[in-house]
Order: sequence, then structure tokens, then C-alpha cells
Amino acid sequence: MASYLPLLVASVAAIGFVGVALGLGFLLAPQQFSRLKRTIYECGMESTGGGWRQVHIRYYLMAILFVIFAVEGIFLFPWAAVLGEIGTFAFVEMLVFMSILFFGLIYAWRKGAFEWR
Amino acid sequence: MNGSDFAFLLPEIVLVATAITVWAVDFFTPRDRKPDLAWPAAAGALVAMAFLAISWGEHREMFLGTLRLDNFSLFFRFLFLTVAFFVIVGSPGYVRRKLRNAGEFYGLILMSTVGAMGIVSSREFLTAYISLELVAFGFYVLVSHARHEARSNEAGAKYLILGAFSSGLLLFGISLIFGATGSTGYAAIAAALETTPDFGMVWTLGVALVLAGLGFKVAAFPFHSWAPDVYEGAPLPITAFLSVGSKAAGFAFLIRLFAEGLFPVLDDWRVAIGVVAVLTMTFGNLVAIQQANLKRLLAYSSIAQAGYILVGVATLNADTTSGMLLHIAGYTATNLGAFLVVIYFHNLTGKEGIDDLRGLYRRSFLLTLVLAVSLLSLAGMPLFAGFMTKFYLFTAAAASQLWWLIALAVANSILSVYYYLLVLRQAFITPESEEEEQRPAFRLPSHARATLSLLMVLVLWIGIYPSVFVDAAEAGSRALFGG
Repeated sequence: MASYLPLLVASVAAIGFVGVALGLGFLLAPQQFSRLKRTIYECGMESTGGGWRQVHIRYYLMAILFVIFAVEGIFLFPWAAVLGEIGTFAFVEMLVFMSILFFGLIYAWRKGAFEWR
Repeated sequence: MNGSDFAFLLPEIVLVATAITVWAVDFFTPRDRKPDLAWPAAAGALVAMAFLAISWGEHREMFLGTLRLDNFSLFFRFLFLTVAFFVIVGSPGYVRRKLRNAGEFYGLILMSTVGAMGIVSSREFLTAYISLELVAFGFYVLVSHARHEARSNEAGAKYLILGAFSSGLLLFGISLIFGATGSTGYAAIAAALETTPDFGMVWTLGVALVLAGLGFKVAAFPFHSWAPDVYEGAPLPITAFLSVGSKAAGFAFLIRLFAEGLFPVLDDWRVAIGVVAVLTMTFGNLVAIQQANLKRLLAYSSIAQAGYILVGVATLNADTTSGMLLHIAGYTATNLGAFLVVIYFHNLTGKEGIDDLRGLYRRSFLLTLVLAVSLLSLAGMPLFAGFMTKFYLFTAAAASQLWWLIALAVANSILSVYYYLLVLRQAFITPESEEEEQRPAFRLPSHARATLSLLMVLVLWIGIYPSVFVDAAEAGSRALFGG
């Protein structure tokens, strides 16, 4: 159990830091709200509706594609860490893996997955 | 792990490459030519079959023991490639009438086949599970591929939800077994069972959940309820693929798991599996009698057939394993034959009711002949594959002395003759109305005639002179049981 102690310390420190930072900001900052200020901010786009409204099913396709490449990224890290030891073979294997995913991207693109119809 | 292991995966690599090529070519193919992508896809399956020859007689542990190539996996990999070939070759006419995105359709069939080939080679739970999911993911899309038909969508949703649920059961079972034995490898589990014969409740629950999860996949009673609806709603070639490919993959999983991992505790489970087997075949047969739709009839009949194969699992040993392999091979050829008839009949008439078969004898001799051969074989009539393989399987199972099981299996087999003959009565005897007599004879495309004849010859070959197939099945069983 002792080996988990640093983890506990780090967690407490992290939660504490965020709490203190947000709390101080809440206490010290001047607070003047207007209706416009309370609207949801999303990348400069004008927001429509609340944060809990139903999401269009087409987002699903985009989300799936996003997840695929996020997972590809996760696979790349351990691969990069041991690449020096495994050598050319692992390099070629990863190229094959990535080219299959790349083909998937092209396929989705050609089939119109990114078009909002 | 080394590079040379990959040489033995060439069939799988060829399939994946073919699938990707088909998808890529699909971009540049005009819409009306897309159904013809079946031919390159089928050619890919044949090339993969040729590469299988490399693993002939090879016994090899690969990738840290997660995969094992032996005659057992060779038998099933060959079987799955055959299934993929016939399903794809049987599809173009149907695809042209009903489906868009033909390239996707053929490619996914190949991908599901790759998954099935992975299941039979894996001797470790997680590898087998991932392969099973690869099969299932392909099927989820394929079942709902007729996007503009409500029934296909319904079938897809049902299959997805129940499939995900059964995968959950299977995974939970695997985690409990891992918790009890400390390994997911079949060999290590067997070794753990030798030293600790009783792991208590956790173990029992784990095995029960794994059995339930796989029971879903092979549509065994009481986990069969998805099968008839999904079989009815799915595009016809996919129904054929589900009823042979997916089922055979589930059984391959079960057989290798019990032979290599759970064999030490098999005695605790014999009766339970036997009861499931009897319930499965009885239920399948009794409900099949009432069906008016040919697809649903074949769905229930395939549930019943799963019951017969489960008899072999309940009495598992070297002999019943070769019996099961032989029966699965015979059932595959037979059921593919029956479904190809339904597909071609549907292409020509748009119908699939048993009543619609009236006058088939007059309209197409070949369709009637193949239908008769297939159904008589499913019913277990001598001269056809069904009799020979069931005889072989039940005789081997009789050595276990579970007499009630064998007696009920044989009784069920006799019961099933009734509804298969009902179908044939429509095709041969029931007279057409005067209006119906005016309908012209069918004209089948030449590739349809070739595949139908080929399957019929296979069924008769297995039924009359099965020594080649018996040798192959016994070689497969020896790979698991030695000797």
C-alpha cells in the first residue's frame, strides 16, 4: 500500500490546487453578470439552446471517427517508447496499422461521412 | 514472436487485403456494376484457401501462445473460407435487387470470416473474444444492411442489443474464470484445475456465464430468441452466413475451450449441456412445424441442428469431436444449398413463403432438386450428408452411455422429417391453380446453376462416400486430443 502514497499526495495536491485557484478567483474577481455573459461559450460560435438539449444523431459518426484516431494515438505512445528495441519490424507493423486507419478515413470521407446532409 | 509467424497468417492477410481492395475499387465503380464486386471478393477467398496449404500438418504456437495452428484450426479455417466463397458467389443477384453499397457488403463478409478464422486458432480467452467481436461487428452491419427495409433495421437493432448483452455475459464469465485460475490461457486454466480441483462458486458462475454467452452465439435454447427474427429480417445471403458461419464459429470456440481448458471439469457439466441440447433441438423442431415462411423454418431448423451438435459437446471426447466436425461440415454444405435455393427463388419471385413454392417442380428442376437434397439431408435421410454425419456423431456419443440424450436426439431427428417433407410437398405435389400454371419457367444465371450443383454434389459426396471428410475431421480432432 505504501507505494500508493505518492499517488494519494498527488491527488490531494491536484484537487487542492484546483479548489484554491477556483475559490480565490470566485472570491477576488469582480462579479457582474448579464444575460449575455451567462450564455454558453463554444469556440466563438453563437450558441443555440441549453447544454442538455438532444444531440443530433449525425454527431455519432463524427464522434466514432474521433474515437478511432484517439485510440490510434494511444497505441502510438507505447510503440514509440520501445521502438528502439524492436526495430524495423515494429516500424513496418505500425505503418500497416496506420495505413489501414488512414484508408478508413479516406473511405469515410469519400462516402460523405463529413457532409452535413 | 518473429516475422515467420506471419507467413502462416497469409490466408487472413489475403482476406483483409481483398476486403480493403474491394472497398477501394468500390469508389470508382459505377452504381450498376457494384454488385459484380462479388467476383474479386470471392477470388480473394479462393486465393486465401490456396495459402492455407502452407499450414498443412503444421502444429505451431504463435504470438506468445495466443494462437495455435493445428489441424483443428486448419479444418475450420478451410470451412469458413468455403462458406464465405459460397455466400459471396450467391449474393450478386440479391444485392442488385435489394442493397446499396455492395462493396461494403462483400468486404464485411470477408472481415467477419477473418474473425471466425481467429476464433478457431486462439487458445486464449481474450484473443478468442476479440475475434468473436470481429465476427459480430461485421454481422451487426450486415444484418441491417437493407437500410430502407423496416424488418432489416429491426433485426439489426435486436441483434446488436442481444449480441452486446451476450458479449457482456461472456466477458464477465471470462473475468470470473480469470479471477479463479489466474490466467486466460486454456492450457494454464487446465493446469490450475489439475492442482486445485474446486474453485467454488466463482468458478461455477464463471463457466455458466461463458456457456450462456456462447449459447447466444450458437442460438441454443434458452438463448435462441433473437435467431428467428434476425434470420427473417436480415438480407438473405446474410441469413445463410449467420446460420452456418457464425454458428460454426461459436461451436469451434466451445470445442477448443472444453477440449483444451475445461476438460478436467467436463463431467460436472455434461448433464447440463445435455439438457440444453435436448431442449434446443426439441424447441427448434416443434416450432419449425408451425412456420409458413421458408426463412423462419430454416431458422428454427438451424436451432434444432445446434442442439444435435451440442450432444457432441456434452459427450466430448476424441470421437465425438470428429463427429461434430463432420456434422458441422455436412450441415454447412446442406444449409448453404437450402439457402441458395431460397435466395435464387427470392430473386426470381420476390417471395419466400412455403406456399409460394407451389409448382416449383415444373418451373425449375434444378432448384427443386437441390432443395429436395438439402432438406432430406437436414432431415437425416440416408444417402445424404445429414444421415451420415448424424449417424457418426450419435454413435460416437453413445459411448458416453448418456442413453436418454442419444434417444431424445434420435427421436427429434425423426420428428424433424415431418416439416421438411411439408416443404417438399408444396414444391412437388400440391397442384397449382390455373392462373399459376401460366407462370413461365425460371431462368437461372449460369453461375447459380454451377454453385447449386456444386453444393448438391458436396452433400451427396459426404452422404455416400465420406472417407475424405472423415479423415479430415479425425485429423482435426487428433490435434486437440492427441493420439
